[in-house]
Amino acid sequence: MNVEISGVTESMSHRMVASRKPELNSSATVANGKVALLARLRQGDERAFDELVTRHHSALIRMAMGYVADREVAEEVVQDTWMVVIEGLGRFEGRSSLRTWIFGIMIHKAKDRGVREKRHTTFSSFESADDDGDDATDPSWFHQSGEWAGHWAFPPQPWDDQTPEKLLASQQAITAMNRAIEALPRTLKDVLILRDVEGVEAKEVCNILKITETNLYVRLHRARERVRQAVEAYLVGRKPTM
Amino acid sequence: MAQEEGQPIFSEVTCQEIAQWASAYLDEHVEDERKRHIALHLAICAGCETYVKQIATVRDVVGILPKAIEQPSDSQRLRQAFVARARRLPASR
Repeated sequence: MNVEISGVTESMSHRMVASRKPELNSSATVANGKVALLARLRQGDERAFDELVTRHHSALIRMAMGYVADREVAEEVVQDTWMVVIEGLGRFEGRSSLRTWIFGIMIHKAKDRGVREKRHTTFSSFESADDDGDDATDPSWFHQSGEWAGHWAFPPQPWDDQTPEKLLASQQAITAMNRAIEALPRTLKDVLILRDVEGVEAKEVCNILKITETNLYVRLHRARERVRQAVEAYLVGRKPTM
Repeated sequence: MAQEEGQPIFSEVTCQEIAQWASAYLDEHVEDERKRHIALHLAICAGCETYVKQIATVRDVVGILPKAIEQPSDSQRLRQAFVARARRLPASR
């Protein structure tokens, strides 16, 4: 049985590229692009600013929604974030990436606003609820005793090879996945949006959210599992049971 | 399916553990020894192979879901603030 996992191949090739000289390194090109964007922003290039806003605004709003009461407040938080970014660009030293800095500002502002609204009085206890070692997967899927303990009692039924295309071609499937993402607890939604939706590198996600990589993967897997269940529910033609 | 001693053939790691480690494995965030155990298990367990593939599908599809391109409700004010700030602070770096 041949398991083809695209992520493994991708990061292996990334490592190979990373060992070459910087000028041949594709990630160096990306880094140069970011440096160039920062330089243009500092020069007052309006198009660079539009580019920056277009690139991050949706994700900022989506994440801010997890901290505050409603969309309107989330928009205010993100608008305030952009104002701080504008004012701070001259002082930004580039110790973190521009993105890490911007998302950090938003989270700080959103938490502050959320606390002031008394939506979440204690963030730490709220967050720890998702940091415990609860299983991402349902224990009832597995044998609980006997010589097959821990092995599948109810293995997942394979999806056909065209599943990604079918999902992307169906508005109903897209809606089901988006609903599953929006329904995630904030700590899970944050990691899924940053890592899988925005494609932010794991280390940078950890910097933005101030969590460990182990924590990141516990959360990320729970988030992906919930979306997987939504896809499964869509595929078998019934409503999600979550 | 059991070996001579009556032990399950997947003695190194259970399916439940594979399911827990699926995302870290897909993102290459497991230590070499664990990665080897997972790869060996996946080669002989159809249930886990299916599960890991499904998580990979979710990861990939979530990344290419159509996105609404949103702009700030007051983008004009932001742009003006940006321009005004740039005028006050000529690029020094």
